[in-house]
Amino acid sequence: MESLHPRVRLLWIAQEALAAIALGVGLAAVDRWLVDVPTVALGVVVALGFVLGVAYAVRRYGVWRFEIESDALYLERGVVTFVETAVPFVRVQHVDTQFGPVERVFGLSSVVVYTAGSRNADVRIPGLTPERAERIQDTLRQLATESDATDAV
Amino acid sequence: MNRLHPLSAAAYALQYGFLWLSVASILTLLLGGIFDAIESAWVSLAAPVGLVAGAAYGIAYYYRFEYGITPDTFDVASGVLARRSREIPYERIQNVDVRQGVFQRLLGLAVVSIETAGGGSTEAALNFVSESEATRLQHQIRTRTAEVKDRRRGRGRPDASAADERSPATDEASSDAETERTSAATDPDEPAPDDDGPTAEPDSTDGTTTSDSDPVSDGRDRVAGPDSRGPRREQLFALEARELLLYSFTSFRPAAAAALLGLFFFATDLAIDLLVSAARPFGGPANLGEGSPTSYGILTVVSVVNGVVTAYVLSVVYTFAAYYDFRLGRAGGDFVYERGLLQRYSGSIPVEKVQSVTVTANPLQRLIGYAGLWVETAGYGPESDSGGSQSAVPLADQGRVHRFTETLTGVESPRFRSPPTTALRRYLARYAIVAALVVAAAFAVAQFTPLERWYLAAVVFVAVPPAAYLKYVNLGYYVGEGHLVVRRGFWKRKTTVIPYYRIQTVSTRRTVFQRRLGLASLVVDTASSRSFFWTSPTIYDVDLKDARDVHGTGRKRLQTALRERARADDSGLTIDFT
Amino acid sequence: MEALHPRIRLFWIAKGAIGAIALGVVLAAVDQWVTDVPTAAIAAVVLLGLGLGIAYAVQLYRVWQYEVQSDALYLERGVLTFVETSVPFVRVQHVDTQFGPIERALGLSSVVVYTAGSRNADVRIPGLTPDRARDLQDTLRKLAVESEADDGV
Repeated sequence: MESLHPRVRLLWIAQEALAAIALGVGLAAVDRWLVDVPTVALGVVVALGFVLGVAYAVRRYGVWRFEIESDALYLERGVVTFVETAVPFVRVQHVDTQFGPVERVFGLSSVVVYTAGSRNADVRIPGLTPERAERIQDTLRQLATESDATDAV
Repeated sequence: MNRLHPLSAAAYALQYGFLWLSVASILTLLLGGIFDAIESAWVSLAAPVGLVAGAAYGIAYYYRFEYGITPDTFDVASGVLARRSREIPYERIQNVDVRQGVFQRLLGLAVVSIETAGGGSTEAALNFVSESEATRLQHQIRTRTAEVKDRRRGRGRPDASAADERSPATDEASSDAETERTSAATDPDEPAPDDDGPTAEPDSTDGTTTSDSDPVSDGRDRVAGPDSRGPRREQLFALEARELLLYSFTSFRPAAAAALLGLFFFATDLAIDLLVSAARPFGGPANLGEGSPTSYGILTVVSVVNGVVTAYVLSVVYTFAAYYDFRLGRAGGDFVYERGLLQRYSGSIPVEKVQSVTVTANPLQRLIGYAGLWVETAGYGPESDSGGSQSAVPLADQGRVHRFTETLTGVESPRFRSPPTTALRRYLARYAIVAALVVAAAFAVAQFTPLERWYLAAVVFVAVPPAAYLKYVNLGYYVGEGHLVVRRGFWKRKTTVIPYYRIQTVSTRRTVFQRRLGLASLVVDTASSRSFFWTSPTIYDVDLKDARDVHGTGRKRLQTALRERARADDSGLTIDFT
Repeated sequence: MEALHPRIRLFWIAKGAIGAIALGVVLAAVDQWVTDVPTAAIAAVVLLGLGLGIAYAVQLYRVWQYEVQSDALYLERGVLTFVETSVPFVRVQHVDTQFGPIERALGLSSVVVYTAGSRNADVRIPGLTPDRARDLQDTLRKLAVESEADDGV
């Protein structure tokens, strides 16, 4: 089983920090226009949100595993709900690698696997180095093409 | 390339005319409000201009909309300013539906929709074609698909002799295709209605599409008319009058309640007048402004009863009209169905595109021993109104439905396994929390209103054990040879049969609470197009070990089934994996 | 790897300009009905939007590349979020060529590829000459139909 790149923790922490700041701004707006919120409470909420976010990010990294098995892509993830998913290669419709602005800062990339299913229809592996993402995309595409010739739906 | 029925030009002209009229008026008013240079009075000028331009656009749209049947694909080219030309390979087609509203039936028109698994909405919608053209299209697509499949199978085994194909080992599906071909080949001998018949349409005379280099298919393209549905349409099921009535009376559609609420907001004054006058004989207030607390209470109770009864009646009427004269048949490699009293639906579903079948029954239907059967494909987009599945059998005797399911899927009678009793404990705790929330809400209400005795709400706790028990007993799963069967739900019990061959992904999920009890839920996803409310088949709250076992079995059997299928394909056999 | 037709930049700029003008109209509406907005500010915002649109269009053109590989269609695109997609031909459900009014004026066309995985996020290659689009559609359609035929596992 492979884990994600350790830097993904920083990425997630950055995202959580952004969320905490957004929460702080929301509370400040409430304070300004609706009811008084003591500044201390505001600070405490933001700090708490941030700490929880950091803990969540670290735990999430600890839990995240994936593996390219003989017949399927296998993933394990989830802090609150732990999910183990198997995506058979035959069922892969197409594969993306992508990185957004925040990911670019950290030099990370994600692979997104699309299936025709109704739920879990797109499976994302975050926190990969761009080269690794590229390799996974190539492997998955090859396996998807080789594993079956009849259509997947 | 073919055109739509000429009447659709009028329909599009009307539609776009009124659309552009309103857009032009609203835009003029809006911009007139913002910029001083634009006068709001220009509306009187903008509106007719919009109407005329829209009508012209509608007519142009008709002339620029073309569809055609080619040897490999079904093509649609559309758009006036923005153009789109689309090619749909036959083997990718999931459903072909024909819909006819009341007016369209009077005018002999129909709407044909073709669905593939790609894209969010209907891939090709032909508004409108003539009835005979709709039938011809359905038939053509069926023949062509069989042809392409045959060709592929032939090419896949260059070593195998053609005699193999006609060997006794050939199964039903390919022999169907065979007969379909021969019957189609003889078809040109019959008088083609669009050549000289009274039912001739201008759109199909020039049409007949396709490559002129292929004289056989060209000749076949001319075949139209009701008889081209093929002589061997085998009836599988017809909804009898008794079953239709039972189905109408025992099923309840939430949409009916929603429609009623919509009606209420649309005509609130009238609705309130009606409700007040309905409550008056029972001691309701003489009118809304004056009444005692008791009379208001009576008004509320009577109105709720009224609302429920009306919604129920609406639901019954709707179901009756929608499923009147329901028939399911099989033609070649397709299931075909028809239904509807005022608006007529008919559709075809390729047998090998069926993803899963689900038997549903609500408590009332279970009480009288009836159930319904639904077939699911990946064709419909999330926005389609059919909710992603088509009824194969709306309602029939349970035994009959089970037999039908078995012949349809080849699944053996399932021996269901139940989740461990720890799951029951989980539901007890869950519903106890819900009950506690109800009591808390009652307490909160008591704080702000003259109501006292909030603790009476604690009576809901009585419902907790039965609710948990009913949830628990309706859960079950069965790991069969070729299929996984999952049963869940009390209010609408759904038993889904999933062929391993159709599995898309398998997930084992464990929430924090489940991890404490050592339980897990297994989500088996298929390529369905179900709506948000009908979640993918899930085996809830089984032991983690069992969940992992089923997870592994599902994956393994998917691979085995794929290999078998490939082998069968190589040797010219087809196996119904549905 | 193939790049798009250079004229596609004009198309994207035109789209950006329409967006900027719409923004200007909204600001004018705010000025009229809600609060006073100085006309200079409106002009500045519209010009800024236009400038950003042009920069975005130029950069997007530089990034956009696609290739018809042996077994899959491969795309690279995205300014903020960079996405690489590979679509195995076996998985193609159907193929469109489309063009809107602006594209028609510029003599451009797009190819849209649908797979069962792309419910609403379809795979689109913009900025092709109509001939090239037609050609690509034919290739993809053929490959999609063919790839079922060679029954390799």
